[in-house]
Amino acid sequence: MEMLFHVVVFPGLLYVLLWTVALFWFFRKFMAALHKRIGPSFNGPGGSFQTLFDLSKLLTKESITPKGVNPYLFSMMPLLAATIAMLPTALIPWTPTITVVESQYSLLGLVVLIGIEPFLLFLTGFGSDNKYSFLGGIRILTQMISMETSFFLAALSPAILFGTLSLQSIVEQSTWLSFWILLPGFGLYFIALLGLLEQPPFNIPDAEQEIVYGFYTEYSGTNYFLLKLAEFAEFMAVFAGAATLFLGGFKGLFFESYFCLFIKMIIVAVFMMAIRASTPRITMKHMLDFSWTYLVPLSLLNIAWIMLAKIFIFGAVS
Amino acid sequence: MEGDEILMQNIKNILTSYETEYVEDYKKVWIKTKLEKSSDLLEVAKALQENGLRTISTVSATDFLSENKIEMNYFFEDILTKRNCWLKCDIPREIENCSIDSITPLFAGADWHEREVFSMFGIKFTGHPDLRPIIVSQDFYDKTPFRKDFDWDAHEENIVENMNMIAESFANEEEENEKKLDPHGSDTILNWGPTHPASGPIRLKVHCDGEDVISIDPDIGFVWRALEHLVTKKDFIGAIVAVERLCFMDNINSMVGYCQAVEEIAGVEITDFAKYMRVVLGEVARLSSHMMGMAGFYNAMGLHTVMMWNMDMREFFLDFLESYSGARIATAAIEPGGVRYGLQPNMLMELQSALDKFDKTKDDIRAIFIKNPTMKLRAAKLGIITPDEVLDYALCGVVARASGVKTDIRIDEPYAAYADIKMDYVTQKSGSSQDRLIQIFEEMEQSIDIIKQAKKHIEEKIESGEFDPIKDHMVKVPKKLPKGEAISRVEWARGEVLMHLVTEDKATSPYRLKMKAPSFNHTMMLNHLLAGETLSDIPLVFGSLYICQGDLDR
Amino acid sequence: MLRVFDFFAHAKSESLWMAHFCTGCCSLEMAAAMGPRYDWERYGFLPTPTPRQADILIITGLVTKKMLPALLRTYAQMPEPKYVLALGACSFDGGPYNDSLAVIKNPTEILPADVFVAGCPPKPEAIISGMEEIKKKMKKGIPSAASQGGLWREMKF
Ligand code: SF4
Repeated sequence: MEMLFHVVVFPGLLYVLLWTVALFWFFRKFMAALHKRIGPSFNGPGGSFQTLFDLSKLLTKESITPKGVNPYLFSMMPLLAATIAMLPTALIPWTPTITVVESQYSLLGLVVLIGIEPFLLFLTGFGSDNKYSFLGGIRILTQMISMETSFFLAALSPAILFGTLSLQSIVEQSTWLSFWILLPGFGLYFIALLGLLEQPPFNIPDAEQEIVYGFYTEYSGTNYFLLKLAEFAEFMAVFAGAATLFLGGFKGLFFESYFCLFIKMIIVAVFMMAIRASTPRITMKHMLDFSWTYLVPLSLLNIAWIMLAKIFIFGAVS
Repeated sequence: MEGDEILMQNIKNILTSYETEYVEDYKKVWIKTKLEKSSDLLEVAKALQENGLRTISTVSATDFLSENKIEMNYFFEDILTKRNCWLKCDIPREIENCSIDSITPLFAGADWHEREVFSMFGIKFTGHPDLRPIIVSQDFYDKTPFRKDFDWDAHEENIVENMNMIAESFANEEEENEKKLDPHGSDTILNWGPTHPASGPIRLKVHCDGEDVISIDPDIGFVWRALEHLVTKKDFIGAIVAVERLCFMDNINSMVGYCQAVEEIAGVEITDFAKYMRVVLGEVARLSSHMMGMAGFYNAMGLHTVMMWNMDMREFFLDFLESYSGARIATAAIEPGGVRYGLQPNMLMELQSALDKFDKTKDDIRAIFIKNPTMKLRAAKLGIITPDEVLDYALCGVVARASGVKTDIRIDEPYAAYADIKMDYVTQKSGSSQDRLIQIFEEMEQSIDIIKQAKKHIEEKIESGEFDPIKDHMVKVPKKLPKGEAISRVEWARGEVLMHLVTEDKATSPYRLKMKAPSFNHTMMLNHLLAGETLSDIPLVFGSLYICQGDLDR
Repeated sequence: MLRVFDFFAHAKSESLWMAHFCTGCCSLEMAAAMGPRYDWERYGFLPTPTPRQADILIITGLVTKKMLPALLRTYAQMPEPKYVLALGACSFDGGPYNDSLAVIKNPTEILPADVFVAGCPPKPEAIISGMEEIKKKMKKGIPSAASQGGLWREMKF
């Protein structure tokens, strides 16, 4: 019974749906404010029903399967992408008591599940039989290879520091001191996260002005809805990952609850949006340059720093 | 003799060494001439080029049905020393003999202009490297739509077949592309437009290998409205409707150009008040255009914040235009003889609030978007245009000045009240995409300065009673114009607009109006700038060239 | 059961995404309608980069002969239900370009529009209220005009 609740309500399907609707709304509203606009406003209080309507509309609209595509690949991939993107929620310790799948190796599961997602999106682009989608797919693959190295390395730093791969115990062991030690790792994680989630300045794979909408180009209706769901579920996984790994998860100043985790996730989201509103997109070439000449070496240095800190600071204190 | 006069004399000396009907001064900076023999053209052009007139503004043909001839007009310019030469010659009208030497091998900038004349009048340019039709839709291929005896109505009778033919030709082209390309290679031809999010109504046929661009062939004409033909069906005042639709972003200055040509033929001098009003309105329109230009640049990189912020400011300037003319965009505010309406005090208040708004916002924009490091990373070395290319390809306006070429019609050949206004060339150095963005922004500041000067002047003169804002705005222009011909140049938001107007005796409507618009030349540069770059650079360079499809196709 | 259907119909009418497509100078005012002062996102309108996700197609003013195949193709690519909004005098009868034979004088006979917005160009307020009319039409369940007829089916594109 409890399992059923976890799968269907929290942190399962309903929660992800609600999160998608709410975050989509929040993004649009926040973006509008930075644009000196208002954003959705007439549907529901503060326009909060707007994204609900948008997503339900997508659900009921015609889903076109263009001529010439592989129908199996074309309709299978969005479903698969959405499912895979939702899986990490099971591994994250949402509150001191709720972790759906408790495992010694939950950190490993988290990063692998996050890391596989771009590959699925590449397949969606590959199956679309559209030149622009294909280019989008290729771009996503290139970006994945160069960004995930530093993503994995950054995610490794808490594991090394605390000597565990279990997210639960990472959160339990985290302190103010460990927060400061992990801060450079958090910075790197955040940058890699922008790349992984295809956010500006790394929104190269779905660059509207260059390749229309990348791998999204041919998708409509339900399939598009699933892809959007996958995107937002991945947002959640990555934000929650950031909060758990580096910011102390559900721990708060005064009490421990889901609420603290939520606030931390939103802070990460706000940073992401602010960057989105002020930074133009860079090109593939610059991204590769940046990733391999700065980001990866820095992540390696960060690992070295963590090891030193573990021996001389963290170990000495605790 | 002064230095300038010696230089002008040089041109005359060249011209008089050939057989000409006349060689005469025209306005301050022009020499007008007509060659006896069209076969001399190439030699004359070469001599002029060696003398420094390296730029060809446009090539324009006029079809004189009654005299059974076609008159060619070439407008040579020397941007550096501000000397210009208007060269004419006659060629026979019969389609078989209707040909002339192409000057494209000498002047790269003449390429598309000659193709345009070829598509509109069927004139063959011998020696042109790539004489394909341009602009016109496929049903006008091998026809002569702009000739006076072309029967548009007969052409229109088969509209359905024509339409289907256009659609078919697109499909055929697609098939041919597939055949041409190696099925195992990674080459593709992408159609960048006309429904592409960043393109607007233009189609770039991008031949690319993966992400690398091999070549680009722009296909233009998606908003071809045949404006130059349309004006001949309207009277002189009605024609401003067509002229202002050259491009709506800056409609005032194109009307100014046209009205000056009409006034010149009619021999009318407008009032000082109207001149100043033209300056104010023109600069407001320039500002609102530049704001969209900046927005286009950043949109190309996926950032819409600039567009929103600029639109926020732009609304205030449109408010002024609306209070003046009743329309936000389609103002039709300039008319032959002056400006259409008088000036009420509340209009100037609207203007003041727009100026205040700009002053409040500009620092933020400069800090966030002009000094943006990511933008610099991408744009500082991309799409570099050298001063030599500016002269050879006849680039103008923002693009030319960003490369450091000092050209600005407002200073070179002052019109309206620009002679009394203190201004200087605003230029950048390197001519990269980044410099073009900075150039747009700095020109916006310059425009604000000009508006402030003109506004102050108007207010003072109204105070002292020299201007009567209600009555002074118009002088009468006769309905019927004498036979004549005039050109007028204005500095439009995107660069030089040259209007060449021809009228018949007792004319009630223009006989021929040629509008040279800057985006045409700028689009010509795309292949040159982008070959060898990557797909990501296409929108950025396209956006930085500040192209509007309206004046590209006309 | 009835309620569920109602909800989805309502959702459909309240969330109109438009295909990003400029055919003429009215698109300038359409851009202004997106801008800060008029901000049509308040009403739930959103531009999308590809026609596959769009609900309405906006004919922004004039349609030239060369542009028509692209317009029809864009329309055909959109998923059902889809509606058409025609802006400006041009899309009605050619407007100021009525005499120009490069411009199609009756684009809406070819692709019938559900709502016309008058003006040259229409003001942003008018564009937004035109979109609101489409919402009303959708709420009443009236099928789109282009699905009922129009020359577009007989044309090649
Ligand atoms: S209605 Fe007016 S503004 Fe709209 S496209 Fe036609 S001419 Fe342009």
